[in-house]
Amino acid sequence: MKKKIGIVAYKCKKCGKLHFPYHDRCLNCKHREFDQVEPQGNAKLLTFTRIYNLPWGFDQRYLTIGVVEFENGIRAMGQINVDENYDLKVGMQLLPGWEPVRVQYGENVYGLKLQPLF
Amino acid sequence: MRDVAIIGVGMIPFGRRDEDTLMDMLAYASLKALDDAGLGDKSVDAVYVGNMGSGAIQHQTAIASTLVDRLSLLPAAADTVENGPASGGSAVKNGLLAVASGYYDTVLVVGGEKMREVTGWRATDFVATMTHPTAEYPYGITLPGMAGMFTRLYMEKYGVTREHLVAVALKNQEMGTRNPYAHVEMALSKDGIYDNPAAVVNNPVVADPLHLYDACPVSDGAAALILCPLEKLKNPAKPPVVIAGFGQATDTQTLQERDDPTDLKAVTLAAGQAFEMAKLKPSDIHVAELHDAFTILEIAESEHVGFFKKGEGGKAVLAGKTRLGGQIPINLSGGLKARGHPVGATGVAQVVDIVWQLRNELPKDRQVKNAQNGLTVNFGGFGNNVLSFVLRRVQQ
Repeated sequence: MKKKIGIVAYKCKKCGKLHFPYHDRCLNCKHREFDQVEPQGNAKLLTFTRIYNLPWGFDQRYLTIGVVEFENGIRAMGQINVDENYDLKVGMQLLPGWEPVRVQYGENVYGLKLQPLF
Repeated sequence: MRDVAIIGVGMIPFGRRDEDTLMDMLAYASLKALDDAGLGDKSVDAVYVGNMGSGAIQHQTAIASTLVDRLSLLPAAADTVENGPASGGSAVKNGLLAVASGYYDTVLVVGGEKMREVTGWRATDFVATMTHPTAEYPYGITLPGMAGMFTRLYMEKYGVTREHLVAVALKNQEMGTRNPYAHVEMALSKDGIYDNPAAVVNNPVVADPLHLYDACPVSDGAAALILCPLEKLKNPAKPPVVIAGFGQATDTQTLQERDDPTDLKAVTLAAGQAFEMAKLKPSDIHVAELHDAFTILEIAESEHVGFFKKGEGGKAVLAGKTRLGGQIPINLSGGLKARGHPVGATGVAQVVDIVWQLRNELPKDRQVKNAQNGLTVNFGGFGNNVLSFVLRRVQQ
């Protein structure tokens, strides 16, 4: 079964600024109360990179990582599930999922994983 | 506030120093600075040690306490300062404020890091621990990866090209061949890393669109300074240099929360504060050491500190404006790109290199003629904690 996207963003109750990740005070007005907001819809690719020199904990040849913006304005980083030769473009729409992004201490760590719509 | 002079500097060659411990390197650089200041058999009031990773890499903490003991500087006050890749700059700041305030008269500032003790795999992970622990780190993002995403945006917005990035690498590695303290003393050819089909092999992608020679090496090294109030300096043996200006600013930890991720606000603010304090403007600077952990950063920082308009920095490098003899020589040490980037050492090493420039102590092939004012930018995180210093040679 497809897992729910585990991202929660925080919308300032005073000025409406959207935050992800969490801050104790609004980056705009310093207010401390927020409404929790879940990402909606598909995600637009804002920028990306394909990394070949991976850190400890990743036993694979490369990783494609990008920053995306959901339809309700939440921005987040995620892994992009495409092969090495796939022609990613800034601005393209990606389908978000919540899947294992690494293994730590023998356990899967879940995170945002994206793939092209078509 | 008292004017603060740099009366002694020291550095050890950066590179892979298997024969030395981290403490060896910190001690060697400190002794050089003490000797340079004429304090070889004297003590200091306080010591600030810039270091990012001794706890994670060497499994050794409280290293400032160890250093004062080893150097027989007891009972000097001693603190370790950690601020990621800007740890060195933050150590300089702490020394500056301690002397400027009038609390201490003689302060040793030393920055050092021993990163080659672990595999590249581990070192890459160690540096990545400065990314956001839940929103970035779990994905396997690295600092080259952050720089890759930034580069893609900067290229699209400002027309920076691969050729501009290559020009930074060529310039800085050429300067590295002239610097005996540089980790990488190997000149590059444009043909070898860009034009020739073999460049695909010689200069592979490390974090698209950045290639191997867009990135600084992982280094061991240390550098040190001795600070004292200018007013207490009598008959100095070497031309005194003062820290005329200082600035520090922060930005959001994640790139995604910046309204414009290509805008390095903390660089603009930190350098702006340093210029204001020094009562100087970018055109008054004769030489600069910018934090070129990646070639794109030298270009972007040269624009954000005000040397060039946005979109002009890359063209300026290609036109030779940032070379020795150019409009504003940048990274004549080879920068992080060639001198190397032992993270805790870098912010101090940048100041040491500028002091050598302002004292006119470098060989002709690195020395800017009649340099009076210099600038440094030490870039922590991915631009989320930046320090900048303006140094000035005191007219005697």
